[in-house]
Amino acid sequence: MVNYDGQLYTIEGVAAGLIMLLTAFIVVGTTSVYTPGDTHITDMQLEQMGSDALHMMNTPNTSAASAESALQSMIKNNEKDRFGETFLSFCDTTAGGTTDTLQFSADIYYHKSNPMPEGSVYKVNFTESRHLTGGEHAVRVTEWVQVDNSVGGVLLPASPPLDTRVQAVLVEVLVWRD
Amino acid sequence: MARLNDDAQWIVLMGFMVSFSLIFLGIVINQSTVVGQTTAEGVLEFPKNDILNVRSAIFQSSTLQSSQITPLSLTDVHDDIISIAMSRKNAIVSYRVKCQELLDPNCVSKIIDIHYNNGVTAYNETANY
Repeated sequence: MVNYDGQLYTIEGVAAGLIMLLTAFIVVGTTSVYTPGDTHITDMQLEQMGSDALHMMNTPNTSAASAESALQSMIKNNEKDRFGETFLSFCDTTAGGTTDTLQFSADIYYHKSNPMPEGSVYKVNFTESRHLTGGEHAVRVTEWVQVDNSVGGVLLPASPPLDTRVQAVLVEVLVWRD
Repeated sequence: MARLNDDAQWIVLMGFMVSFSLIFLGIVINQSTVVGQTTAEGVLEFPKNDILNVRSAIFQSSTLQSSQITPLSLTDVHDDIISIAMSRKNAIVSYRVKCQELLDPNCVSKIIDIHYNNGVTAYNETANY
């Protein structure tokens, strides 16, 4: 014969078991490190900071119509070193006084209007702080720059050469933390 | 169930309440782990900087148009922006610059139509510049 005496103890035992399982679940869950979310968050911060730095460089110092931004004159005169110094000084500055260890590789994409096939887009490496080996986890930031190559300046050493006219080029920078 | 003892029902009830509240807390903690990821993914995928940037490039190029007779769509800069946006940003960009008044010979004030579409986000604007 089945005895009904212990039913309440059984139910309480089941409830206590559930509580213990849930406690273990919560304790283990709260102490784990969530890698996917974390990398996305740092990517987002790096991308925002890089694109802000490029935007600062592409802002002219005065509002005069003829004013050229620093980035415009760097591309027009092929000032690689000045670009690297300015970009890294914007990106590596931290609130604590120590400098960050960001690396970058900048390419410039340009479009030629004259030779066929029309609409071709070419790339020239502008400058880089370290050569990209492929193992880096880099984010891509871009900035449109309107460069006046019609008068003066030093053309970028690109093949095929850039048109000597006013043109819009895309500066594309890969940024990664060392 | 005839001789069932009804004592200690409170203990059973409390046990169930505590277990269910713990399950609820577990769900909340489980959800909180994906919040940072989805937020960051949303920010990374939404082309806010691309749109702002192509917009300022278009505004900058619109100063090249100084009269009604030579539309900007015939210039090389217009082709530059459209070609590079297509090949590097996977975005279709289309824009047109009109002079605001027919009697404005130097085309000082302009109306600019901008269309941007990268397959996920579409952006259309008519700006007075």
